[in-house]
Amino acid sequence: MSEPRTILTVSELGVERAGANELSGLSFSLAAGESLTVLGDASSGKDALIRVLAGHGGRDDVLTGTIGYGDGAALPAAKRAKPPVRMVYLAGAAASPLNPHASVLSQLTQILARRLDTPRSSAREELRIALERFPDAPVFADLDRKPGAFTAPELTWALMATAIAQAPDLLIADHAFADLSPAAIKAAVEALRAEQRRIGFALIYGARGLKTASYLRGRMIVLRQGRVVEEGSFDKLASGQSHAYTRTLFKSLTKPTDAAAPRSATRGEPLLQVQGLDLRSPKDKGPKPRDGISFELRRGASLALIGEEGSGRRALVRALLGMERFAGGRVVMDQVDLSILSAAMSSRLRRRIAFITGADDALDPRMTLWDTVDEPLRAHLHLPRDLIAGHRETALKRVGLASYDGRQPVAELSPYDKRRLQIARAIVGAPFLAVIDEPLRGLDAFAQSIMIELLEDFRRQEGPAFVVITADVGVAQVLAEDALFLKDRKVVERGALREILKNPKDEETRRLIDAANL
Amino acid sequence: MTAPRVAPSLHGVLRIIGWVGLGLIAVAVSLSDFLATAPADATAVGPLLAAPTEVFRFGTDILGRDMFSETLHGLADTIRSALPGALTTLFAGALFGFVAARMPRPFALGLRGFMGIMAAIPALLLAILMIGLTARGWAGIAAGLSAAPIAFVRAFERAQRQERAPHSAYARATGISAGTLMRRDLVYEFTDTFLSSAARALAAVTIVLSTVSFLGFGAVPPHRDLGLMIAAAKPYLLHAWWTAAFPAAALVVVILFARLAAGLDEGERA
Amino acid sequence: MLRFVAREAGRLALGLIGAALLAAAIAGLALPHAEDGLFSFLFAWGRTLDAFVSLDFGRSAISGEGAFADVWQRLPLTLGLVGEGFAIALVVGIPVGLLFGAGPARRAASPIIQIVSAAPIFCAGLALAWAVANLLGWPVTLDSGIKSDLALWPRDPAQLQALLLPVLTVGLAGAAAAQLALRRAGAEASGEAWRVELRRLGLTAWDIETGHVMPRLIAGLLAGLGEVMLALLSAAAVAEWVFNYAGAADLFVKSVALHDWAVVAPVLFAFAALTLIAEFVGRVAAHPLSDRGGAP
Repeated sequence: MSEPRTILTVSELGVERAGANELSGLSFSLAAGESLTVLGDASSGKDALIRVLAGHGGRDDVLTGTIGYGDGAALPAAKRAKPPVRMVYLAGAAASPLNPHASVLSQLTQILARRLDTPRSSAREELRIALERFPDAPVFADLDRKPGAFTAPELTWALMATAIAQAPDLLIADHAFADLSPAAIKAAVEALRAEQRRIGFALIYGARGLKTASYLRGRMIVLRQGRVVEEGSFDKLASGQSHAYTRTLFKSLTKPTDAAAPRSATRGEPLLQVQGLDLRSPKDKGPKPRDGISFELRRGASLALIGEEGSGRRALVRALLGMERFAGGRVVMDQVDLSILSAAMSSRLRRRIAFITGADDALDPRMTLWDTVDEPLRAHLHLPRDLIAGHRETALKRVGLASYDGRQPVAELSPYDKRRLQIARAIVGAPFLAVIDEPLRGLDAFAQSIMIELLEDFRRQEGPAFVVITADVGVAQVLAEDALFLKDRKVVERGALREILKNPKDEETRRLIDAANL
Repeated sequence: MTAPRVAPSLHGVLRIIGWVGLGLIAVAVSLSDFLATAPADATAVGPLLAAPTEVFRFGTDILGRDMFSETLHGLADTIRSALPGALTTLFAGALFGFVAARMPRPFALGLRGFMGIMAAIPALLLAILMIGLTARGWAGIAAGLSAAPIAFVRAFERAQRQERAPHSAYARATGISAGTLMRRDLVYEFTDTFLSSAARALAAVTIVLSTVSFLGFGAVPPHRDLGLMIAAAKPYLLHAWWTAAFPAAALVVVILFARLAAGLDEGERA
Repeated sequence: MLRFVAREAGRLALGLIGAALLAAAIAGLALPHAEDGLFSFLFAWGRTLDAFVSLDFGRSAISGEGAFADVWQRLPLTLGLVGEGFAIALVVGIPVGLLFGAGPARRAASPIIQIVSAAPIFCAGLALAWAVANLLGWPVTLDSGIKSDLALWPRDPAQLQALLLPVLTVGLAGAAAAQLALRRAGAEASGEAWRVELRRLGLTAWDIETGHVMPRLIAGLLAGLGEVMLALLSAAAVAEWVFNYAGAADLFVKSVALHDWAVVAPVLFAFAALTLIAEFVGRVAAHPLSDRGGAP
């Protein structure tokens, strides 16, 4: 059997921009059918590599080293030669790659027509055929809507179909599956691998986190501050016999052994008592479900609400916090029935609740760093200024933001810094309940491992009860002992998470555990 | 690691020029009695309708008034009326808009509806109407009030966008009250942008004020602001351009510096 | 889309009712004793509203004619000025706005545009009059004090010369507002991630600018139609005054000066209604181009 043909050879590639060295001394080669994951944070040089290879770099990039495509001779990277292989770029839905004011179909058709140099009608047909290859992708006829009407996985499938329709030799995916749930990532990676076997393209996947890499299982290059830390197969790097930095990154891939010792679910006073909760809207006149959601959460205990987007996880939290009225049932928080409270009283009760979420717009972008931490203290406790400053400083030190300029607006912070700032704001509020909603979403592997440590430290020191919203069983089992698995606004399985992991009964539970790739 | 020093952008430089310009205008206004060679409205200082010379640098008008001195006095009168007008726009428009958006829904919608109708009337005609209903001495405040509905609507809609933003929902979920959310608007949308908003309001009010004066509803003689001076020069403009050109140039300079000081991206309509 | 149009039509109706209430309050001032206190004013307001319902808009205190007839007679000139000014606003404002609203020219052009648009419209009108009189030798009269009529559809060069000055003055004010709306939309679209990403996915800069950015600019202009109308109406008032034409805006100015409130009210209502209708038309036309709009 002949050797697969080489698609790309990079030798001693260096990228400099505005006097700053973004990448240096990177060498690798990639054959047809092979996958390479390039892992690193925003300053690692990964983005520079993808920019250069995909031809997105401008004249302000100073390039050194050589790049060779196919069997052709390697040329100086600075020449920016047009690649003789068909190179295709795959963007992630999280990067908002499409114009929100125009239909997805028209945009993807336009892209395909331009790339394949064919009329729009042929491009539409190519797109339709490519979409049919993916069973989970939206139907072709449904694509004639604006991007806002699609979920992130649906858009990802549509973008993947557009890329595949171009029959690439080299596919460069830039965080294409970031922000998807583990089940969605697994499905997308499996489909991509199947197409790779069919077409034989080489794949470079730029990754911040390790989730996608754990499914791709190909070769990996770990970059840090423009230099290669380590390279090898995923299994070798995951084995623990690797560089200290790589080991830190792999901590973000939570494993069952990492789980904290189970606490007694019966300790402490009841904090939340939910009886027969019906998550439908009060206006919903459909048949009433036989039994609603019932459970109890005690002080200091933890509960994971596990399910895909739209499974009712957030609706349940809104009901628990008294923010929305639902068709039926009763929620008692801190021994107060929320249904009898006025909006103002229920707002007062929520003062000791903290939110830490993966949504980067959870903090007011206009506020300064200090004001964000001070606000709960100033608004709820009316403490003197020096006391507020003391609490703020302690909290910021704990999350590693004490050295930052306190007058900096939140809008200027990175997603990782915003996430840590949310924890600092939660710390000063001394909450009795913390709602943790997909806390690792969109972060790089290093930031993910630090976030896990910070959340564990927060729980250990402040001792709030945790309600964890996630689609990732791996995250749930690090931060919570008990779990409710949800699907279609119904609880499909419940109990101690350790027990469920050992012996899942429901099909949805099995699917979610399987997708977590533990 | 130290942050690289960022050279000030063109817009930053222009903004500084705007504030320096406004500062110089403020100095000229406060020293107008010393800088002017003749008192305000002093007639027969020189020959009638004399073109600019070394003695009368801006020429003279039909009553022999020194146009240089008159322009300085007119500038002072315009600025003295426009300043309280600009503050009126800020408080009755922007500040009130932010507060109204956080009021109980029926009040908020009622106020928004009323201000929406007022904003549908050209500010110039609204100012004229208000002066007609009160007195010409109130022209500055009337000009400020006429520009207020637009500022109100803009502030109200900004506050509503903030109210609908996810960060507000998260804040409410942790017991943050409507009052604290309003404080955010006032601190970050009003106080922090006060100076640039004031400069923008000054530009808008100056335009309205000088136009109402030009139409005969503003300054009351013997006080002559720039608009009234240009109106008086209108019959002679075609053959004695200097009687209108210098007051008009002074007016354009005030508006331009105020706009530069406010930041360039958003202009004002008036 | 239909729901949106219905909602906007409801808003327009409410706006028109509000403007009518305001006009009635002003017209009420013309009644005897209306200024004697709050109750007297409210009583006068009620009576005027009642009269408005039966289409009685009162009489001018100056001419003795019906206020509505007075306004009706003068309105066509103002509407003609506004209409022709609007055409000029589009012809001048759209190219300027597109040229300086999209692409790298946007930020660089902004200081120049500020300088050009810093002149109040009456100064621009006077400057225009001076320029055409002294440079082109056109006959311009600024000091007659006699209000004349304006031929909106000129039949000879003299009529065209007479028309051009006020129409250009109004048109330039509208153009300033139109280019502002376009540049504002351009500024909003300039920071969008999809502009870079679509390029990376394979579209050319031309594809993106013409197929994706241009509709945003047009939507911005349509959404700013109310602002353009306000600028045109203000400029019409100034142009009628500067160039001595007897339009509705001129009538408004004179009527306020003479406290002829019965005439002021219908003019005010007409102007507010024009702006509200322009806003309605603009919003409805811009809706399909917005991200929440109906058809793509």
